[in-house]
Amino acid sequence: MMKNIEKYRNAFIAVLDLEEDDVSEDLALGVTREWDSIGHMTLISEMEDVFDVSIDSEWITEFNSYMSGIEILKRLGVDFD
Amino acid sequence: MTLISIEFLLFFAIIVCIYYIIAHRFRWILLLGASYVFYATLSIQFIPLLLASTAFTYFTGIIIERQETKKQKKKVMLAGISVLLFFLGWFKYFNFVNDSLREIAKFMGLNYSVPYQEIVLPLAISFYTFQAVSYLVDIYYGKQKAERHYGYFSIYFAFFPQLVAGPIERAKKLLPQFKVEQSLNYENLTCGMKRIAWGFFKKTLIADRLAPIVSSVFDSPNPTGSQIVLATILFSIQLFADFSACSDIAIGCARMLGIKLTENFKQPHFAVSIADFWSRWHITLSTWLRDYIFVPLCKGKKKRSEIYFAIVITFLVSGIWHGAAWTFVLWGLIHGFYRVFGDYTKNSREKMVSFIQLDRSPVLHRWVKIAITFLLVCFSRVFFRSDSITQAFENAKLFLTISSWRPSGIIKAFEIFSLLDLVIFILFFIIVQLFQYIERKNGSTWEWLSQRSIIARFSFYIFIIVSVLIFGVSGNGFVYGGF
Repeated sequence: MMKNIEKYRNAFIAVLDLEEDDVSEDLALGVTREWDSIGHMTLISEMEDVFDVSIDSEWITEFNSYMSGIEILKRLGVDFD
Repeated sequence: MTLISIEFLLFFAIIVCIYYIIAHRFRWILLLGASYVFYATLSIQFIPLLLASTAFTYFTGIIIERQETKKQKKKVMLAGISVLLFFLGWFKYFNFVNDSLREIAKFMGLNYSVPYQEIVLPLAISFYTFQAVSYLVDIYYGKQKAERHYGYFSIYFAFFPQLVAGPIERAKKLLPQFKVEQSLNYENLTCGMKRIAWGFFKKTLIADRLAPIVSSVFDSPNPTGSQIVLATILFSIQLFADFSACSDIAIGCARMLGIKLTENFKQPHFAVSIADFWSRWHITLSTWLRDYIFVPLCKGKKKRSEIYFAIVITFLVSGIWHGAAWTFVLWGLIHGFYRVFGDYTKNSREKMVSFIQLDRSPVLHRWVKIAITFLLVCFSRVFFRSDSITQAFENAKLFLTISSWRPSGIIKAFEIFSLLDLVIFILFFIIVQLFQYIERKNGSTWEWLSQRSIIARFSFYIFIIVSVLIFGVSGNGFVYGGF
């Protein structure tokens, strides 16, 4: 069974059309061309589907990097260990 | 009693004095009484509507919270929002819909017998309805507990500094501040007074001085293209000065009571893109629309085209919120189009910038982006300012005609100013620009000023007050007060 961290990485690859190597812990909103404000909303929808959670608007703004996304999903009960 | 009046300043001074004299437990009564008195002086006939909307939202919030299941909560929330929007729709949009249907019926040769209704728009209804909607939605999502203290809740609904034209606040931010005991604080008092004075400065020396000049062009039956270009640019300056002044006064008054309201403007005319503009202009409305319209519309959407659709709908709502007229609908749609087109062409525009090597001088590139964004915003404001859709299209055509931009024509268009008005406008416009320049460089002009000598500081404060007293003019309230 796929681990949550793999699902998380795959969401970035699928939605933002990134290469496997592009997805790193340094990835952040606005730093790459693909992850812009519009791509951000599609990424949030994908995360909500993949992890069956609802991310509210405050956390959508807070979800501005690869690492902060993991923190927010952890708060929503997603296990990354 | 408008915000820009000696009466208001006296009224507010009395409220501040009493506020800090009486015990904290009585302050809510004072603030609520002051809010209703202030509203009554502006629009006494709609006090019952304000009271009814307050009571309705208060009890709906509690009922939502008491529901057992999420489904039941949602039902109550939707019913509550529907009632609030019904009142807004009735007072603000009835005649707009009625007139539109009549025109359609006329066009199709059908009989339409619903007559025009004399409906007066209740003051601030758009603002307090949006605060009420956000309150109910936040309770539904569990982000906000239903307020049980009817007095505090009523102040949230009608807090007089921000009642007329915002900032649109969330209960989560405002309610706890009313409940905390605010002690007399020198910094709060001085910061508040400076903000109020700066608001008066922008309103009376820029906005209300420009208003009749802009109107002379837009009300003219045959304006020249250059006059429309100049008047539209001036209108942008007027609108910013007007609305940001209103926010300054609201923020300043609240600060003197120890309450911090949300900043509503961050130098929007220095935005480098339309997206950036909307993160700087009427920020509390933009974030409201983002949280309660755009984000819900984006749920489950994974294609850029679907997000584009959500953007257009959000801007359409923004347009309709601003006014019940097709000019505002078009204004909203234009911004939606700007935002979508900007995103769609982002890569090709970047390539073009690289091709012409504009990216090699970042400062010039930034100023080009600022100029383009400002002109796009100005163009949209042709629709915002025009009185009818026909006039808007005529003015837009003139705005887009190349000959309207001939320097000789623009210089001649300055004849809409009298020489004295022009000199006064240029002087105070430069001061506002200097203020903003210092803000861009230092973060806060007030902090920068606090590091200057006492003579420099007080010279500036006295200059503001004397300028307002000598050269200030006061018009008919705030532009956004009409929404």
